Amino acid sequence: MAKKQLVRVKVNGRDRQAEVEPRLLLIHFIREVLQLTGSHIGCDTSHCGACTVLLNGKPVKSCTMFAVQADEGEIITVEGLMQAGQLHPLQQGFKEEHGLQCGFCTPGMLMSCYALLKNNVKPSEEDIRWGISGNLCRCTGYQNIVRAVQFAANKMAEADKKPEMAEVAK
Amino acid sequence: MILKTSPEVCGMGHSMKRKEDLRFIQGKGNYVDDIHLPGMVYGQLVRSPYAHARIKSVNTENAKKLPGVLAVITGEDLAKANLAWMPTLSYDKQMVLATGKVLFQSQEVAFVVAEDRYTAADASELVEVEYEELPVLVDPKKAMDPDAPVLREDREQKNNHIFHWEVGDRKATEDVFQKAPVKASVHAFFPRCHPAPLETCGCVADFNAATGKLTVYMTSQAPHAHRTVFALVGGIPEQNIRVISPDIGGGFGNKVPVYPGYVCAIVASLTLSVPVKWIETRSENLQSTGFARDYHMTAEIAADRDGKMQALRVKTLADHGAFNAAAQPTKFPAGLFSICTGSYDYSQAFCEVDGVYTNKAPGGIAYRCSFRVTEAAYLIERVVDVLALELKMDPAELRRRNFIPSSKFPYKSCLGWTYDSGNYEAAMKLALDKIGYAELRKEQAEKREKGELMGIGISSFTEIVGAGPAHTFDILGIKMFDSCEIRIHPTGKAIARMGTKSQGQGHETTYAQIVAQELGIPANDVTVEEGDTDTAPYGLGTYASRSTPTSGAATAIAARRIREKAKKIAAFLLECSENDLEWEPGKFYVKGAPSKAKTIQEIAFAAYTNMPPGMEPGLEAVDYYDPPNLTFPFGTYVCVVDIDNGTGEVKVRRFVAVDDCGNIINPMIVEGQIHGGLTEGLAIAFMQQIDYDESGNVQGGSFQDYLLPTAVETPHWETDKTCTPSPHHPFGAKGVGESPNVGSPAAFVNAVVDAVAHLGVKHIDMPIAPWKLWQILKEKGVAA
Amino acid sequence: MGQKIEKTFSVKEPLDRVWDFLSDPRKVVTCVPGAQITEQLDDKNYKGTISVKVGPSVTDYRGEVQIARLDAQNHEIEILGKGQDVRGRGSASMKMSGKLRALPDGGTDVTSVSEINVVGILAQMGGRIITEVSNIMFAEFTKRFQERLQQSSEAPPETAEVEPIKAGSLAWEAAKGVFRGKS
Repeated sequence: MAKKQLVRVKVNGRDRQAEVEPRLLLIHFIREVLQLTGSHIGCDTSHCGACTVLLNGKPVKSCTMFAVQADEGEIITVEGLMQAGQLHPLQQGFKEEHGLQCGFCTPGMLMSCYALLKNNVKPSEEDIRWGISGNLCRCTGYQNIVRAVQFAANKMAEADKKPEMAEVAK
Repeated sequence: MILKTSPEVCGMGHSMKRKEDLRFIQGKGNYVDDIHLPGMVYGQLVRSPYAHARIKSVNTENAKKLPGVLAVITGEDLAKANLAWMPTLSYDKQMVLATGKVLFQSQEVAFVVAEDRYTAADASELVEVEYEELPVLVDPKKAMDPDAPVLREDREQKNNHIFHWEVGDRKATEDVFQKAPVKASVHAFFPRCHPAPLETCGCVADFNAATGKLTVYMTSQAPHAHRTVFALVGGIPEQNIRVISPDIGGGFGNKVPVYPGYVCAIVASLTLSVPVKWIETRSENLQSTGFARDYHMTAEIAADRDGKMQALRVKTLADHGAFNAAAQPTKFPAGLFSICTGSYDYSQAFCEVDGVYTNKAPGGIAYRCSFRVTEAAYLIERVVDVLALELKMDPAELRRRNFIPSSKFPYKSCLGWTYDSGNYEAAMKLALDKIGYAELRKEQAEKREKGELMGIGISSFTEIVGAGPAHTFDILGIKMFDSCEIRIHPTGKAIARMGTKSQGQGHETTYAQIVAQELGIPANDVTVEEGDTDTAPYGLGTYASRSTPTSGAATAIAARRIREKAKKIAAFLLECSENDLEWEPGKFYVKGAPSKAKTIQEIAFAAYTNMPPGMEPGLEAVDYYDPPNLTFPFGTYVCVVDIDNGTGEVKVRRFVAVDDCGNIINPMIVEGQIHGGLTEGLAIAFMQQIDYDESGNVQGGSFQDYLLPTAVETPHWETDKTCTPSPHHPFGAKGVGESPNVGSPAAFVNAVVDAVAHLGVKHIDMPIAPWKLWQILKEKGVAA
Repeated sequence: MGQKIEKTFSVKEPLDRVWDFLSDPRKVVTCVPGAQITEQLDDKNYKGTISVKVGPSVTDYRGEVQIARLDAQNHEIEILGKGQDVRGRGSASMKMSGKLRALPDGGTDVTSVSEINVVGILAQMGGRIITEVSNIMFAEFTKRFQERLQQSSEAPPETAEVEPIKAGSLAWEAAKGVFRGKS
């Protein structure tokens, strides 16, 4: 068995570390070592995106990375979306627009949408559909997810116009 | 007409935002794989690479020696406890772990238990199995050949024939066909596909040796039925088994059967007295759990020259895989397939189905099929279009001429079903108006002149759900009632528990809305729980769109019983007779003196603090509902496609879905269900198939090959509704979850065939992948 | 999962030398990456093993090879091979026909048609991978074939190091081949 290695990461703003086998997948590190079970596993071929988290600002499929590859990095999972007890506009949007049913794809979907909105504050429907094309959903048919993202985009645009409102996580 | 309550009460008809969302959007759902118990270990199955082979030896020595491995269980080990085989939901039996031989690729052969997932995976690689390959049978049409290999040596009859089932009058139907001037027929294959919910199947089996109690957290759509099965199969006293179905990441029928993984995990936990977690991978899910469809169907219609359909004749070959593990009511080996007369008024019909074994994974009933209604609806809507082509008649007009008129309901079909209510013309009219049918036909004619391919497909389906009345329906002998138990607390809040189990359908919200409607208690004040067999009343679970028709009805009835008791308490508090009281949601008031009233909250408080003399304290009720009939949702879907003749790609330009599921609890949730089901129908029509090569290798055993639509392929769905309540349901509702998957494949296929019908194409089998369509275009000389 | 692969290559050696080499399994096996003969049963039947490594995954097959036909007149050979994965993860069988033709420049043309059938997990990963792996193995085979031919044909067959072809390159080449499409 390969010698364990130390992995140090910042997860949702907190410093975490653990000794892990080099072959430990990042998703297992997140779910089982860090016990953040929000991110899910939906396939074994990197297609479904249920494991999507942000690593150093970019969305990654954490099932296709080793934990050791994330060493010294900064990870944001769905558990880190809320700020100061407030739902992120995306989370609000998913609730308002019925963007989820069984909820299994939702964490990964939220993280992809989060990354999408960071790069594109006013995405068109086509932009949104392309942006979430790496996340599979069996329940919603994506239509309400698109609405949820549009809801969030509008909400965030309004918030930007009012600087005195609490700043939403960038 | 359902009275609409205020937004605060939020009863039926409100698009109430879902209560369950809060935990899911924060990543705080509690799915089976999220469960972590002290001392928990992990199990992994070792699976057969061969579709048909004798097992010569299973060597587990090296696996057992690996540090961290606690046990390796083989079929031989289970056989000693009489557990190598288990009953299926179709009164067949299925191997838990193979003994003697294997019958499909990926069949379960051994179970490894280790301290962590990775060690279990390492150990499973060290299990050595020696096989002797046997000839493989993958073509169901060859299953009954005299020289076909006999797959099931455990059965008395040494052939691959499982059952023959027929319904209707063969002779009378034949007579009509003899005399009919017009006949049309189609041979339609509904390919094997798989529901593939995003969460795979799994469990945590936790046997507590100190208490003797076995708790099984599992991905189960029917926790009580599963508990009873475990009790009967495992010989464990049923009061010592607790099945907890927590949050489930999609079911679609995939989580109804009992899989070997569950049994192995339970056996391992009983043996080791520690919690054992088993979670299958996606590949295992696609290759070994309950598939859907695989029906080879032929339909013939006999009609007169005006297009009046007289008779329908259907013959089907059902490929069930290696074991008959289809989950359907006992008396119906082909499920509710005899709904194949659809929305049309036939004077005679005859339907026969033969089921056969092949070297493929077991299953058959899944993927939002309503017990084979997807197959039936697809078949009838396809053959009706073929008839329209034969008669050179507009397909909408042909349907209109043959719809069961709304005046004829309740309608008894010649294959034995009594449809509760329907108004097919209204649904079709709404759909055609909404899509602009006449304009589209004009556009199509113009495009045809220019060699552009555009098609319009209609599907006017009738569904049959809500199984079902005790006189006809049972699964493994257990009648298909369902239940609800409601308890009102002193402060007027409530808890309600049902025998169903949501896997995303929003029950925590919709059931609360039913209680709110009946009692005027705000839906937000009603906690809904399902899935824990220790607390929820017995039920048969959620599948086949049965929750609203059965448990929904039980909820209303239980609530009404509470209201009856509440009335007595109100009369006591208001010092009047019950006859003087009127009800409006949330309160009883004296007729003519509305200020003399008691709210349901005041009544609830009184039930614990100030009861009428002689009355039992408390305010609760339970109902076990035996539905008097099934319900029959229906609708018309219209699909418009444009075909790229350079690539064979089909672009869905528009899709209008008009559904009628009677009275609706939560329109937002119904719409969401339709979106999801239509997307599954799209996948089935264009991109999904689990196929096997001649050696029995699975093709489509991972998401590389078994395709799920992404947001890019999925078109924008336009939904609308008509409302024809069910006359026998307590609040006129019918259920709707599966309608979109039932009705849409025919709409898609009809549209594509319609686009090339003028070239002489009568039918194209699913999945209509671009390469397949392009070859047809090339053959017809119109490929770019 | 059945695959039919046709390959032609030429060597600079004269036909008789090539025929001698090709009709001796103990010599041919030295050219097949990862293969070895473990036992000779009679003049036509042999037992052998072959190790196929794709990425980190190794599949060891154990089985039989049979010279089904040896036509020294027309220089045609037909070999049947069948093996099972030693860990019970599948099987593979192969029928290979080889035909030699003398070239005007003194060299020899070797044409082979192989039908490969794979059962098991490998077959699920897709015919794409099998084809690419076969192509790579064949390329390696022809390279070694030419090299060995050039060495003295009287020297006893080397107990060559039985080393499966380099793991990483096989996986990467296979993957590249998939993306590139068939050539």
